[in-house]
Amino acid sequence: METDPQNTPASEEALAPIEPGPCALWLAGQNLPHESLGTASDGIEMISVRPEDLLAVAGALHADGWNYLRLQCAYDEGPGEHLVSVYQLTRCTDRAVRPPEVRLKVFLPREDPRLPSVYWIWKAADWQERESYDMYGIIYEGHPNLIRILNMEDWVGWPLRKDYVTPGFYEVQDAF
Amino acid sequence: MEQNPRNLLFPPQAQSVTSELSNNVVLTTVNDLYNWARLSSVWPLMYGTACCFIEFAALIGSRFDFDRFGLVPRATPRQADLIITAGTITMKFAPVLVKLYQQMPEPKYVIAMGACTITGGMFSTDSPTTVRGVDKLIPVDVYMPGCPPRPETILDAIIKLRKKMGGEDFRERYETIQQTHRYFSVEHKMKSLPDVLVKEYLRMESRQAPPAVLAEAIEMRTPVDLGRLKALETELANGDRPSEYSGV
Repeated sequence: METDPQNTPASEEALAPIEPGPCALWLAGQNLPHESLGTASDGIEMISVRPEDLLAVAGALHADGWNYLRLQCAYDEGPGEHLVSVYQLTRCTDRAVRPPEVRLKVFLPREDPRLPSVYWIWKAADWQERESYDMYGIIYEGHPNLIRILNMEDWVGWPLRKDYVTPGFYEVQDAF
Repeated sequence: MEQNPRNLLFPPQAQSVTSELSNNVVLTTVNDLYNWARLSSVWPLMYGTACCFIEFAALIGSRFDFDRFGLVPRATPRQADLIITAGTITMKFAPVLVKLYQQMPEPKYVIAMGACTITGGMFSTDSPTTVRGVDKLIPVDVYMPGCPPRPETILDAIIKLRKKMGGEDFRERYETIQQTHRYFSVEHKMKSLPDVLVKEYLRMESRQAPPAVLAEAIEMRTPVDLGRLKALETELANGDRPSEYSGV
């Protein structure tokens, strides 16, 4: 019973070092700067990348066969915390069964959230980066058409940030 | 003694003359005929913006079969008599809805379907963009609650609308189709921006090649020079990009 991993105390589990996944090991082999974040609850490997290294890492992964950007999204860690831009990649092949997936995260300072766009690697990033820009104000440098996609063109503020305050809605609507 | 059955006060057979008469003669007014023809062919606009339309689509199918009410979905507002606003209306979509309504020929009817188009529904408390009730934009004839309403509810709403149409008098039609000025009544203070839907999306200049800074980083697998990126941003801002690009 002592060797049963189910009975390991939670504190010991938290202290266990993060095991880099296969993608992180590959990146380490290529000398590409990154930081492994372990495995998400859904079993997908997570890797943190600095904004200036994103294009180098993403370009290398694309050349390695991660040819499909499943999703690009963003989230806010909380008031005063980082904004995070997330990229989930997979390999699209013929007759694929459970293709591998990896999740890249770029943690951005709240005051100046800017990072290079991956539009030139995966064209699928076009509208999704526009949505992340629209909702969180993350600036994707080099994106060909970084304008608001869901909100009104003249909307002020970034509605999905945790510290966003909805303006007095009825005045806005009466004006409309 | 022979007796003519027609002379009996209470003949054993049912009296047949009057029923034949009512089968063959219709007494009506032009007004009723006009209303009957109109309410038997209410053509709705094929229109849906959210989950309500799933229920509406179920109504079109064979299980609920709304063709039996004479409803034939139309793909253009020019041929539609009825618009069922199936789904949430956002402020960005509101001008499109108003334009669709204006393009419909008179007489036209609106059924507000679901909580979102009646009050904003579950988006009515804190959504930055939902229109709180479609009746802020276009006049509504029937409000149909539900989230989303079942197909039976839509049938009920259509029956209620048919009752309303049947009670109308076409001599009053010029009084009922007056503009009500329920929208654009307050002068807005929003700034207008250049049109974004110019159908040149994939052909635009900025899509033809990546900026040199990014192309180098992808090719050479080197870190992006953030200082050069800043310069790129100011360069792009000098182009035809909206001023909001510059950030918060």
